[in-house]
Amino acid sequence: MSQSIKLTINNQAVGPIDVADGVMMIEFLHEYVNLTGTKFGCGAGVCHACTVLVDDEQGISEVVRTCINGVERFNGKRIRTIEGHAKQNSLGEITALSPVQEAFLEHFSFQCGWCTPGFVNESTALLERLKRKPIAKDQVEKVIEDALSEHVCRCTGYVKYYAAVKDLILNTKGLTL
Amino acid sequence: MISSHQRHFPRLKRIQNLLSHNLLLTLGLGLLACSSSAADDSNSSKSGDIARGAYLMKIGDCVACHTAVGGRELAGGLPFETPFGAVYSTNITSDKETGIGKYNYEDFFDAMHHGVGINGNLYPAMPYTSYSLLTDEDTKAIYAYLMSTKPIKQANRDNDVSFPFNLRFGLKAWNLVAHDAKIFTPSKDKSEHWNRGNYLVNALGHCGECHTPRDSLFAMEQDKHFQGAIIEGLEASNITPSELNRQNWTHGDLKSLFTKGYSRKGTVFGGMYPVVYHSFSYLTDDDMQAVSSYLLDTDEVIEPQALTFNGHKPELPGYTLYKGYCAGCHGQNGEGKPNVAPAMAGNATLDKASVHNVVAVMLKGINSQHYNSTTSFYAMPGYADELHDEQIRDLANYLRLTWSTQPGNLDVKTIHNLKEVILK
Repeated sequence: MSQSIKLTINNQAVGPIDVADGVMMIEFLHEYVNLTGTKFGCGAGVCHACTVLVDDEQGISEVVRTCINGVERFNGKRIRTIEGHAKQNSLGEITALSPVQEAFLEHFSFQCGWCTPGFVNESTALLERLKRKPIAKDQVEKVIEDALSEHVCRCTGYVKYYAAVKDLILNTKGLTL
Repeated sequence: MISSHQRHFPRLKRIQNLLSHNLLLTLGLGLLACSSSAADDSNSSKSGDIARGAYLMKIGDCVACHTAVGGRELAGGLPFETPFGAVYSTNITSDKETGIGKYNYEDFFDAMHHGVGINGNLYPAMPYTSYSLLTDEDTKAIYAYLMSTKPIKQANRDNDVSFPFNLRFGLKAWNLVAHDAKIFTPSKDKSEHWNRGNYLVNALGHCGECHTPRDSLFAMEQDKHFQGAIIEGLEASNITPSELNRQNWTHGDLKSLFTKGYSRKGTVFGGMYPVVYHSFSYLTDDDMQAVSSYLLDTDEVIEPQALTFNGHKPELPGYTLYKGYCAGCHGQNGEGKPNVAPAMAGNATLDKASVHNVVAVMLKGINSQHYNSTTSFYAMPGYADELHDEQIRDLANYLRLTWSTQPGNLDVKTIHNLKEVILK
């Protein structure tokens, strides 16, 4: 049995595509639309490497794991994957990284990079949330911990990821009070 | 590490609610009587008593309530929020000043059986209504153990209970009408195993406090012993022998559930997680057999039947929802994933006349559960913000039709009404 899937990925309409029954979203991204930046980690929803952003009509994002959610959950939705963060020119060449990506590079946040797409998506959602609802400076560390605590990294011990996001939040106008 | 959610005790909150009505139940357990087989050695040595007391204390789940989050074991201080203020558990280490070190045995017996401490009546958050069924020998063993604990000097916190609930003389009156302190005696027409199980379940385990419904005046409905009740948005299941046997629980299933937190019939969640974690997972094999003999009302072997899977029905709207939201963890055919998520096939929560817990779990999810280095369950997300009532209806109906013997005839109104209870 197959089904017809249609959605928007990184501002581009995708589908309708016939997708086999029982396909998880990460498999759809990899095998049906050739977006391989989202990484498969534990396959059980624990490590959060595979997260993508699902945007609602108001532009508010939910961070969703793609290894444990079937493609059906995303049918008709707008999503952002790691491929959608950097600015690209008409040739598809990257012209500028997103602020979160820049911060992770500056802080040497990752080594192997497997967990990075998940951290980028989660941190981006956090920044967008703070833009809508700024917080006091002394709350920044706690908010980062709450947002990133479920993302597993096996190389750098988290400190550099957390420091990068903290630095970015404190140095971006309008995110803190 | 025990996180805050693991220290959540709906039973206690429920009992606190009783205070505001100045009423309580008679525990419909007077008819259930039994002495502990281990209690026969009343002349056992002091050290023997201590070891047995340590075990009995585990099964009575004392640590869970008498230890604050991140605090020293048995030193008290865990708050229980009530509508009329916080009540704090007390220090029950052997410290003479701040603990119960100055209690003699009679004082301790009074606290355990009559709810009267040396400083006055205890709030019935302390389940003396169940502990009063303990034999004298077992009460002595627990006393011996507690007196052997390392004294921890930690002053008890004053309760923040507001007037008039802070007037403890009300509890005296309440005890008079509600508390019948009777020690268990065994039923002669039942096996030794069954009687031991009865004692463990009703006296130490104090299971009826959650699993027996209470009437509109918050009195326990004695004729509905163990028939299930709603506590803080979840339903403490019907655990009568007829319901457990209808669902085809075997002795092995119950043993697995109580010792590991999961079984062929599903996993524990909500208030049962701390019960398994702190208490029932420590049951000896003999006592576990006794508990299942009592709960299933038989010592005979029960044959496990095939787990229900009626086949997928892709034409139903719930099918797409299941595949999109659930199948990743619970399996394409509801077979579940070990240490991640329970199977839908044979799931006892699904195979109940009441759909309450199915909807509650969909809306609120389940917190992660850690048992040991090899057994943990990751959290299930709640979908209250994402799935609307029609989707919850479609999914609940689909789950019931596909993996249980229950009908798939729930309507939106039912879901809407349940939602109000569950999310309030």
